Amino acid sequence: MHVTDTMLQLLEATERRRDERRQFIRTAGAAAIAAGGLSLLAACDSNDKGSVSPAPTPAPTPTPTPTTFADADVLNFALNLEYLEAQFYSFAVTGVSIPIELLSGTGTPGAPTGGRQVTFSDPVVAQYAREIAADEVAHVRFLRSVLGTAAVAQPALDISAAGPFTAAARAAGVVGPTGTFDPYANDESFLLGAYIFEDVGVSAYKGASPLIVNKTYLEAAAGILAAEAYHAGLIRTVLYAKGIATPALRTNADKISDARDSLDGATDLDQGITGDATTSNIVPTDADGIAFSRSAGQVLNIAYLNKSAVVGGGFFPIGVNGAIRTSAASG
Amino acid sequence: MTDVSDQMIEILDRRVERRKERREFFRTAIGAAAVAGAGGALTFAGSAGAQSAPTDVDVLNFALNLEYLEAEFYNVAVFGTTLTVAQTSGTGTPGIATGGRKVVFTDPVVAQYAKEIAQDEVAHVNFLRAQLGASAVAQPAIDIGVTPTSAFSNAARAAGLIGAGDAFDVYATDENFLLGAYIFEDVGVTAYKGAAPLITNKTYLEAAAGILAVEAYHASLIRTVLYAKGVATPSLRTSADAISNARDSLDGTSDLDQGISPTGSGATAMSNIVPLDVNGLAFSRTTGQVLNIVYLNKNAVGMGGFFPAGVNGTIKTSAAN
Repeated sequence: MHVTDTMLQLLEATERRRDERRQFIRTAGAAAIAAGGLSLLAACDSNDKGSVSPAPTPAPTPTPTPTTFADADVLNFALNLEYLEAQFYSFAVTGVSIPIELLSGTGTPGAPTGGRQVTFSDPVVAQYAREIAADEVAHVRFLRSVLGTAAVAQPALDISAAGPFTAAARAAGVVGPTGTFDPYANDESFLLGAYIFEDVGVSAYKGASPLIVNKTYLEAAAGILAAEAYHAGLIRTVLYAKGIATPALRTNADKISDARDSLDGATDLDQGITGDATTSNIVPTDADGIAFSRSAGQVLNIAYLNKSAVVGGGFFPIGVNGAIRTSAASG
Repeated sequence: MTDVSDQMIEILDRRVERRKERREFFRTAIGAAAVAGAGGALTFAGSAGAQSAPTDVDVLNFALNLEYLEAEFYNVAVFGTTLTVAQTSGTGTPGIATGGRKVVFTDPVVAQYAKEIAQDEVAHVNFLRAQLGASAVAQPAIDIGVTPTSAFSNAARAAGLIGAGDAFDVYATDENFLLGAYIFEDVGVTAYKGAAPLITNKTYLEAAAGILAVEAYHASLIRTVLYAKGVATPSLRTSADAISNARDSLDGTSDLDQGISPTGSGATAMSNIVPLDVNGLAFSRTTGQVLNIVYLNKNAVGMGGFFPAGVNGTIKTSAAN
């Protein structure tokens, strides 16, 4: 568990930075907004009242995109993530895989290992889990139908308690260095397990949005982005609300955010749910009130649980299928 | 206004029926629909509402009008104050937000949520204004009041939450505040999603996607709290459902809205926190459909409801439904 050790080390440094950052965001919002506006508008001088043509023509997309990918590559990348989410929720809710006819395709097919049904205590949490499961299966079906024969197969998925969930939880400090984190053990663990994925999907679809050329796909991707943000908002709200009686739920969610952030490079792209004494932090946003973007490589840093440029690991033991499959060199 | 309300109530009765059928379809016929979709691999039906293409500035200014409305509502509810002149100046006809007041929250967690959302919405106003610079539209007149003839009361009456001549005071209690917030939240999501293909500049597009996500987080927060509190107070769920139906009755015949009440029961009960189509995608509304809702009018008009003098900018007419 070399990765885990590295993550633990990174975490200490990151935690301090994030706290400073959050403080900055909440107190220096106005200044930051002014600065953000300037940087985005560096080329167009829109605050100049004398400007004849204030119509914005800002600098090109800020997300670094070394290679241009086809829309199908981007949608297939998304499909890999949807397989992971759909299988996690499907096993948690039903104890079985999503239908077999939804798994075939190009690339190396694989099976999900280690998932199992959660015995929910709170019927409302069970109702939420069923809803999200149904939505994620719908996303798999939808992306596969759009991609047709170009759709990638489901790759091998490790959703076992002993595997990446425990590695991630150890790295985050949710459990000790030798502890086990079982996301199927109870309601609370399930919610924290879900939390590991949810905001990542949002940042992935947002980061991919400028890469999609076809307008119809773009609108569809925006629709999935919204669905993922609703899911993330749901999970975060429930953790926050249950955190009144069980404060560890809030602090553990915060730790998971820090661990994610330690994997995807130096920029702060993640926030926990604890705000200050009078404010929650259900919505992870930058100083402009905008959700974060992750590049495909940064998303894979988290899914592979590795801050280096690799092609497999973590929840995808032999990597995702498709043209976009290498994590970013983020460490 | 009573005309509109009567119309809405009439339509509502039919819509309740339709939406139930639709949701039933949605939950049980997913397989069939997906198969049908597979036939059209890599092709789609044309997307909604193509009129003459607005510029990015037009679209961002349209969004700014909506952000003014949300920011004023939450800001007044949380802090008791409206936005400053410096945050609301611009082109077009300036106006003020009238009739709101600070909520005395009972549940401190609801107060924490409200404050978070208020800060986000103000950030959106500031961000969009910074992007638009001198092109930013002024805040138009906004009705966030609670008299019997206010936009909130008309919306609540159309949804059947209150009777004729009654007022819906969104600042009176935690619950009313949550239902007031619910009136707006999903609409913002559908507006940004519908606008996404209209934006040509990639940087703006990514920023708009970021605001879209935040509005969806907000909507989810409000819906989740209403659902959870609905265990003890079932009327919160049914009221939210009725508001969704009222919104849906304004924006044309297509079903673009869903309430929160669960489907199924016992071991198959499923919440409906996320309003999605059969493909698991959030809905889109055209700008005209969004204006149907905020003007509380299903016809093509230039003002009404929450914007008594209309929105500012080039996109200002609701759709004819």
